[in-house]
Amino acid sequence: MNAAPAISPFIPPWYILRPFAGEIILICTIAAILLVPFFTPRKSNAPCACAALIGLLFAFYAQLHVGAASGELFNGMLISDGPAVYYKAILYLFTAGIVLMWFAATSNQMRQGDAAEFFVLLLGATLGMALMSETSNLLMIFLALELASLPSYVLAGFHKTERLGAEASLKYVLFGSACSAIMIFGLSYLYGIGGSLQFADFLHHTPVDKSEMLLGMVGLLCVLAGVGFKIAMVPLHFWCPDVFEGAGIDIAAFLSVASKGAGLMLLMRVMGMIGVGDLAAEVAGPVGIIVGVLGAVTATVANAAALGQTNVKRLLAYSSIAHAGYMLCVLPLVVSGPRDTAVQAILIYLTVYMFMNLGAFMVAALVERAGAGTQIADYAGLGRRAPAMAVCMTIFLFSLIGLPPLAGFIAKLNVMWLLGAAGSGWWILVAIIAANTVLSVYYYAKIIRAMYFTTSEAKAGSVIVNPLGAGIIAICSVMLVMMLIFYATLSRVVAHFVM
Amino acid sequence: MEVHFLVPDFYSMSILLTILIFLPTLGALLVLLARNNAGARWLGLGMTLATFGVSLALLATFDWHKGTAYAYESAGGSVQMVTAEPWIPAFNIYYRLGIDGLSFPLVLLTTLIFVLACAASWRIEKMTRGFMALLLLLETGLLGTFLSLDFFLFYVFFEASLLPMYFLIGIWGGPRREYAAIKFFLYTLLGSIALLIVLIGTYLYSRQVVPGGTFDLVQLADPAFQAKFAIAIGGAGAAVAKTFFLLLAAGFLVKIPSVPLHTWLPDAHVEASTPVSMILAAVLLKMGGYGLFRIAYPLYPQAAKELWMVMAIIGVVSIIYGALVCLAQTDFKKLVAYSSVSHMGYVVLGAAMLTAASINGAIFMMVAHGLTSAMMFFLVGVIYDRTHHRDLDRLGGFATSMPVYFGFSAIGFFAALGLPGFCSFVGEILVLLGTFGAARPDSLLRSSGLAHPTAIYTIGIIACLGAMLTAAYMLWALQRIFFGHEKPEYSELPDADAREIAILSPLAILALLLGIMPTLFFFMFTDTTMSGWFHLMNTAVNSVTARL
Repeated sequence: MNAAPAISPFIPPWYILRPFAGEIILICTIAAILLVPFFTPRKSNAPCACAALIGLLFAFYAQLHVGAASGELFNGMLISDGPAVYYKAILYLFTAGIVLMWFAATSNQMRQGDAAEFFVLLLGATLGMALMSETSNLLMIFLALELASLPSYVLAGFHKTERLGAEASLKYVLFGSACSAIMIFGLSYLYGIGGSLQFADFLHHTPVDKSEMLLGMVGLLCVLAGVGFKIAMVPLHFWCPDVFEGAGIDIAAFLSVASKGAGLMLLMRVMGMIGVGDLAAEVAGPVGIIVGVLGAVTATVANAAALGQTNVKRLLAYSSIAHAGYMLCVLPLVVSGPRDTAVQAILIYLTVYMFMNLGAFMVAALVERAGAGTQIADYAGLGRRAPAMAVCMTIFLFSLIGLPPLAGFIAKLNVMWLLGAAGSGWWILVAIIAANTVLSVYYYAKIIRAMYFTTSEAKAGSVIVNPLGAGIIAICSVMLVMMLIFYATLSRVVAHFVM
Repeated sequence: MEVHFLVPDFYSMSILLTILIFLPTLGALLVLLARNNAGARWLGLGMTLATFGVSLALLATFDWHKGTAYAYESAGGSVQMVTAEPWIPAFNIYYRLGIDGLSFPLVLLTTLIFVLACAASWRIEKMTRGFMALLLLLETGLLGTFLSLDFFLFYVFFEASLLPMYFLIGIWGGPRREYAAIKFFLYTLLGSIALLIVLIGTYLYSRQVVPGGTFDLVQLADPAFQAKFAIAIGGAGAAVAKTFFLLLAAGFLVKIPSVPLHTWLPDAHVEASTPVSMILAAVLLKMGGYGLFRIAYPLYPQAAKELWMVMAIIGVVSIIYGALVCLAQTDFKKLVAYSSVSHMGYVVLGAAMLTAASINGAIFMMVAHGLTSAMMFFLVGVIYDRTHHRDLDRLGGFATSMPVYFGFSAIGFFAALGLPGFCSFVGEILVLLGTFGAARPDSLLRSSGLAHPTAIYTIGIIACLGAMLTAAYMLWALQRIFFGHEKPEYSELPDADAREIAILSPLAILALLLGIMPTLFFFMFTDTTMSGWFHLMNTAVNSVTARL
């Protein structure tokens, strides 16, 4: 890159843009989707969805093509490196999965002609999440977070005639704006101390005295609050179950993986910089402990809260909070090392988590579409009505618990032995994760019990599974077995991006 | 990017083990494609028979005079037919299978019991395909557990066997099946978590001995490795080793199951259907005993030795408590379930006493109990099919109305209570002899100064009382079911039919053969391995005493 001639930061040559090809394709797709309704004869939803799908698949392909190439844009406002490229790739793939889910399960709930807005918002949020994973610039952090959040608020309440959706959206907005406000307050502290919008400058700044150190910590904590909101970290998780319940199930699935993943990627980058920055000695320890403790608390609170749930969407919401908690537990290792293996562990976890969550939400969406509802009781007798789907759902749930022979097991085990290897103090986290796993069996098993052990009286009709939905479910379940058997390949792919 | 596939070596006989494990999985897939219930049944029976056939083929290739050390055959040991393919190279995890005298009898027992269980499930009409498929998947999990020599692979199979069992109890069980299934699931999962923590811990500590660490169960047990490993964990008998041993023991004691971790067993048995009960008692419980011998003792020998008292007390309490509870039972099936707790107590006691006789008795007891418990549970099933209840007080007079059934029952009851000439006797007497033998000054426990003869004698005498109680509850139950006046409501019941006789006969014959000729049918397989195993425990002790 140093051979490049002096160029204007705002008109970069093509080779610098390569790592950002995915985002550029997304922006073009957003523009294209807005134009699609003008060229399709009827006001129909499918063309917009197709455009979004094609754009996302192109973006995914572009990311794969870029490989682990890294680059900077706009004077370091955007930094695309290996982990970011990998995350963006799975983000695009996952969002493409969400579009397919829309085709398979939720498209009939949408009014004709609304799709353009819907997919523009969806891709906008995706773009924001992609940007979250590739910046450490204070301004960019805020912009990316808002770009990810604002469309999400609208998407949560997209079915505006439904009371629950509107309520969810309002809750989401209020909670989100409060957290954003706290975050921007914290960012102002970091800016004030470092004298620059680059987070790196804050880390290179030598603190004048203790009180300035303290201000810096307060600033970091406020930023953590903003990001923690996206991850649904306890105690900022209250929006999550309500939004999942109120929003369309495709949006719930989208938020459960993409939003949490983006938040984790942002935290990972920031914490990775703290670990090697000049302030590492003063800040790294407390930050690591705070995040580790928050991770443990998040997992425990979420699992405890999930025990009493009767709605599958709410249950999956708490489950996603718990999984975010497990991933948060590894984040301190990004600060204190072994950095690369910790990053790998989180990326592997995200990959596995993406497949099991997409699968579980897909089944929930199909059941809901069949008119059975979203209560656990509505799953009664599913093992008889739709045996293949019930088997796949069982695979997803067992994988979410973390039982072999499924990939969820090895993802969790990876986290556990990384923590175990980090030293004796970390064994507490291992024990907490183990205890949480046992706790989580109870509520995941409730769904399994409903599917197999109870018989349904009223809902005798069979659940109609369309080929697309069945295909996604089948792919997800096969992937969950394959990722365990060929774990070596998966970890080599991830290592290729991280190293 | 190079992709590594798990392709075992097709040119050696070790492929047999892989075939043995995954043949039932293939069967499970085929069963799901079966057109009707009858097809599923025949296919299931055919696949279990084929698996049994493969395990018999192992007889031809298994060499019971292989080296005497507890090591791979390439190093002059008794572990043979080894497959080792890299699975997850980053953590040195291998797809590593092998067979030795410790696993061989259990493999044969498993394949045999599954054939019989398939035959016993002929009357299951509810979702037959699903039932057969789960049964076959369970067989894969169990065979995988007994044949894995990689801790990680062992754990995967150990856990994988949990899931089919959960459904087999929960869907095809009795009225309280849901409760029983979730109880079984949570108890064993709790045990598995304990196991998982040791899995992680052992691996992390092994990295200080071998670069990259190891999950190789044979290597982890190797004396040369153990000497360095003991230093890594801060002393062979230090807190870490003891904690790990206790966690392992807890994980396996749940499966065995021993008092106080046994409460899931009566519920599971009472609710499970007959074939599932047979498998649960005959094979699933053996995973616990096998785990003690394959993992807990060899990996942490010094800690195991120092904690002998804990294990011995758990064993004895299980024997006595199980027998006492049996005396109070009126439910036939619950009685057999608690007798399992009592009988498996001998396995724990035999392991704890660490004499040549007691450990041989313990592993013999596992197979003996496998045969007798499968037989007993099937006998319960036969009577339940006819009378639709299992209340001992309402039964009676079957000796005259069902003479063939009575004949098999007499064999089953006497074999289970440990009458000389039947298999349980050999196991019990060896464990008891070994227990008293541990009081000799040259025994492993005495010579390392860990045990006082008084304590050993006390334990031995209490265990002997257990044998008496066993005879009492068994004979009393026999009397209540078969003797007394023939009751009019049962006079029309048909005697055992051809299918039932076909299931009971092999079990009865084996129970007798194992009792009369234990060497020919059992110890010939196990002798070299167990002497190597015993030597391992001795070496661990000697290296410590040498340091003192």
